[in-house]
Amino acid sequence: MHIPDAFIPIGQGIIYWIIALVFIALALRWARNEMSEEKLPIVAVLAAGIFALQSFNLPVSMGTSGHLVGGALAAIVLGSPFAAVFILALVLIVQGVLFGDGGITTMGANIINMGVIGGFVGFYSFKGLMKMTKSMPISAFIAAWLACLIPALACAVEMFLAGTFPLREGLIAMGVYHAAIGVIEGVVTVAAIYLITSVRPDLVDDGVKTTAGAKAA
Amino acid sequence: MINNKTFLIGGIIVALLIGVVAVFLASGDPDGLESTALIVQGQKTLTGDTPPEAEIQEDLTGKFSYESPMPDYSLGDAMGSTGGILAIAVGTLLAFIVVFGFAYAIKRSGKSTDPNQ
Repeated sequence: MHIPDAFIPIGQGIIYWIIALVFIALALRWARNEMSEEKLPIVAVLAAGIFALQSFNLPVSMGTSGHLVGGALAAIVLGSPFAAVFILALVLIVQGVLFGDGGITTMGANIINMGVIGGFVGFYSFKGLMKMTKSMPISAFIAAWLACLIPALACAVEMFLAGTFPLREGLIAMGVYHAAIGVIEGVVTVAAIYLITSVRPDLVDDGVKTTAGAKAA
Repeated sequence: MINNKTFLIGGIIVALLIGVVAVFLASGDPDGLESTALIVQGQKTLTGDTPPEAEIQEDLTGKFSYESPMPDYSLGDAMGSTGGILAIAVGTLLAFIVVFGFAYAIKRSGKSTDPNQ
């Protein structure tokens, strides 16, 4: 759902950039105050992994493909939605500037959708579901699915405001496609959390481990 | 449990492998946003296949335009999949270096300015 420059007028793009910069500033504060130095390896490996996985488009039928976005993954593994903003913002800058994947004036909107909305939806729905189900795979799958779907709906609204898509048609198509793409988001997110937890459980946020999640509930 | 160095190198290798496989196996179908644009432009139906000749019409009036050095994760048709692998490898390593460098610099600067950290 990387929005290209042609899809949003420059003026609106600037407004999204300003909002995105506020969240980037908060993410930098998170990195300085709350991210421990021991987490540096996992932060960097998540960035590399999310970049690579975003280049891997899988077919979801209906003549459409999709890939992991990674907002939920970053937020869940590092225990903060700002981790997603931090990592996704930098990954989106690399993608936009070097590969033309997502525009420059629309980068703010892309950071808001995938980093901010994806991160917050992924993190808080995971937290809530973990309390209810005590199951990491179920919670992470649904949280990641929502963290793909909700940003896509936000994107459809932005496309309506930009005059690029009609509202109803945009919401329906974006919703249907990302409900399907969200299954990829869910499966890959759960698999990645399993993989990271099995090799370095200490680098994964306590909220991910079932016992700690149960304790919190 | 593996140490930091093994985790970092292993993580980069896994990411690079995913990128290489993606060059050969990734679907060429448009993504959700592009598919939606094709529907709006009357070139595709919601659940139908994407016609091979379908192309998103971009109205650039009042919009910014930018030519990236490696568009579509490739180095041009002449370089083929080798170019694709190189492009994705550069991107993957750069994402790693930029995020690691940024996070490291923030932790360093945080230490010198804030005695509580």
